[in-house]
Amino acid sequence: MSVYPRSSEPFLFVHKEPVQGQCPECGSYNLRRYPVLSEGGWWLVTKCQDCLFSLERERWGRLGSIQLLSETL
Amino acid sequence: MVRVEPPVLIKDLDEDAFRARYQCDRFTATVLSSRLRYIVQHMCTGLLTNAFSVILRDWYDFASTIAGPPELDYPTPAVSNSLVLFLGTMTDAVRNAVEEFGPQNLQPGDVLMCNDPYRIGTHVNDVCFIRPVFFEGRLVGFVNLQAHMLDMGGVVPAGFSGTKRNVYENGLVIGPQLLYHDDRPVKSAWSLIFDNARFGNLLLPDIKTIYQNLRLGENLLLETIQRYGVESYLGAVRYACDLSAETMRQALARLPDGEFEGEDFIDCDGVDDSEEYHVKVKVRIRGDRAEVDLSGSSRQARTSINGGWLDAKTAVAVALKYLLDPRSPFTSGTLRNVDIVLPEGTFFSAMPPDGAIFLYWESTQPLLLAIFRALKEALGPNAVGGDYCSLNIHNANGVRNGVPWVTMAQCGGEHGPWGATKDGDADSYMVFYLANNLDPATEAIEADFPCVVLRKEYATDTAGAGRHRGGAAVVKDTLWLTEAEHYSMPLHTKAPSGFGVYGGKDGAVGAVWVWEPEAYEQVQQAGLVGFDEAVYRQATPVAGVLNPESHTLDRQGRYFHFARVPIWRTRPRTMFRYLTNGGGGWGNPLERPPERVLRDVRDEYISIETARELYGVVIQGDPQHDPEGLQIDYEATQALRNAAASQRH
Repeated sequence: MSVYPRSSEPFLFVHKEPVQGQCPECGSYNLRRYPVLSEGGWWLVTKCQDCLFSLERERWGRLGSIQLLSETL
Repeated sequence: MVRVEPPVLIKDLDEDAFRARYQCDRFTATVLSSRLRYIVQHMCTGLLTNAFSVILRDWYDFASTIAGPPELDYPTPAVSNSLVLFLGTMTDAVRNAVEEFGPQNLQPGDVLMCNDPYRIGTHVNDVCFIRPVFFEGRLVGFVNLQAHMLDMGGVVPAGFSGTKRNVYENGLVIGPQLLYHDDRPVKSAWSLIFDNARFGNLLLPDIKTIYQNLRLGENLLLETIQRYGVESYLGAVRYACDLSAETMRQALARLPDGEFEGEDFIDCDGVDDSEEYHVKVKVRIRGDRAEVDLSGSSRQARTSINGGWLDAKTAVAVALKYLLDPRSPFTSGTLRNVDIVLPEGTFFSAMPPDGAIFLYWESTQPLLLAIFRALKEALGPNAVGGDYCSLNIHNANGVRNGVPWVTMAQCGGEHGPWGATKDGDADSYMVFYLANNLDPATEAIEADFPCVVLRKEYATDTAGAGRHRGGAAVVKDTLWLTEAEHYSMPLHTKAPSGFGVYGGKDGAVGAVWVWEPEAYEQVQQAGLVGFDEAVYRQATPVAGVLNPESHTLDRQGRYFHFARVPIWRTRPRTMFRYLTNGGGGWGNPLERPPERVLRDVRDEYISIETARELYGVVIQGDPQHDPEGLQIDYEATQALRNAAASQRH
């Protein structure tokens, strides 16, 4: 398995990347892209931050960002 | 803008629409989903009644599920009524293990196994055994048992410790591989376990029993498919998951829109007490959607108190089931309308190799309680008080007559109180909210190990006061009769975990002490150790916030780090005492009927002084020597309660 060092920051946050566009449900322009954990595992979502509507949901890593070295064989 | 119409409720589907969606009629779908739950329960009963190791036989530390086939994305329509900690992890564990191994590589008669916390959740001792089920050559699902193995190697016998620093100390990690192929043991896989784990003579029959119960589940599932047809079965799998997704969606919609924040923490890790580990939760509700954001939580710990990302997912799902939707069955559909925003590398989403995961529940139980805290105002009378939180696990090992022995979470503070609810007082002797296990019998403990359980009782004045009283803390004293090594793991002693709700009060905090043989002989009376200050003065603190001189509980005192002595090596006739945290109360204690307060005094849940101070009830008499002679002074009680009420206004 790959090596993931302990963070030097005491508290950790998920970065929500701003995305251009408009929510088709509520009209908000406050859209963000970030990984979430839900039914079915990890997803990379583009989501309205006002009404929580998901504009896109695509599979993320099966183990999140953890990579198995054996997958490189 | 597009207005998204809410989906039609399953109960509102007409017969044709129901059949079109689930390939069977409503009655058949209901029968089949119940049948799937029956199958997993039957598998568990088979293991419970035939297991040899104490962790399975006496603790029920295992769970069973059924998962659907890969083309449905491995939905989990049925989980057993057993260890809750496994239920959320197993929904993903089967997918992760099978996808890595390759579903195309599976054949009838195979059993796949995996135990890696970063792949399947929990800890290395919990091996997930997965049996693919084929019907007429088609892979139609999986029957699964995840069970705690008595040992999985590593530097600590039986593994329970908060002091291991990386995955290499933690124990053997097994990636997905076959344990059985064509119903024949794969000897290299068995040898991998036996060559690395202790107590192989107990693991061998237990794993064989697991295999037989997987075959039982497979046979029951195939009988079911034979009778009802494969399409009806697959429809019922989806129906069961859709139903629990729907009830959770409806429950979320009943909450007001908003953002609700909560926090909890554990004392420290196994290196020192320089860093507390905090979980921060923000629950965002918008209609029938929820997002649980855990940003702002602490980084992973330096030792094996961490949990993994699937353990965090389980804690979120279970918290929401407890609070919002407790009546429908738990399935993989429970989280369909819930997104978890989970920073990787926290102490409940630790990363390899230095984020060692073993005491994972110590990290995810505070996560569950943080969600309870976050939603308590929004829930009002439906809020639930906090429980004792830490398992306060104690493991001991040694050698008796040349034979090695190891205890498994039997002689610490593993059982304790829950918080009260609108429905009544809380139970005082449970396993914490994220578990659902048995209590090992004292007779079995004393027969199997060189110890005597001297006390296992409730502690007076520890329950959170309320109109409905929280559960009382449990005090457990164990005298060890031979030399032994002990690992003690209490992790939530700095602040109450049993918070009160809806006007209820917090429960007390606990601690752990040890009396060396000389101290024990000095303070014991007829074998028992009392609760006076003079007694505690002779004790050595193990963990807790205590007065540094008297060693009694003192919220202004000093914190004693639980792992400053990583291994307690003791001589014969050493006694450990565990005091758990108390459970939180529900509602204003001044509204508790005086007669129920009297009963609490009679039963020594509370003292006469607490009855007066917290409940405003004046009781006269002697609860120890004349419990049935206790009397309520109604006139004084009314005056006291009136005065308290006027002060509140």
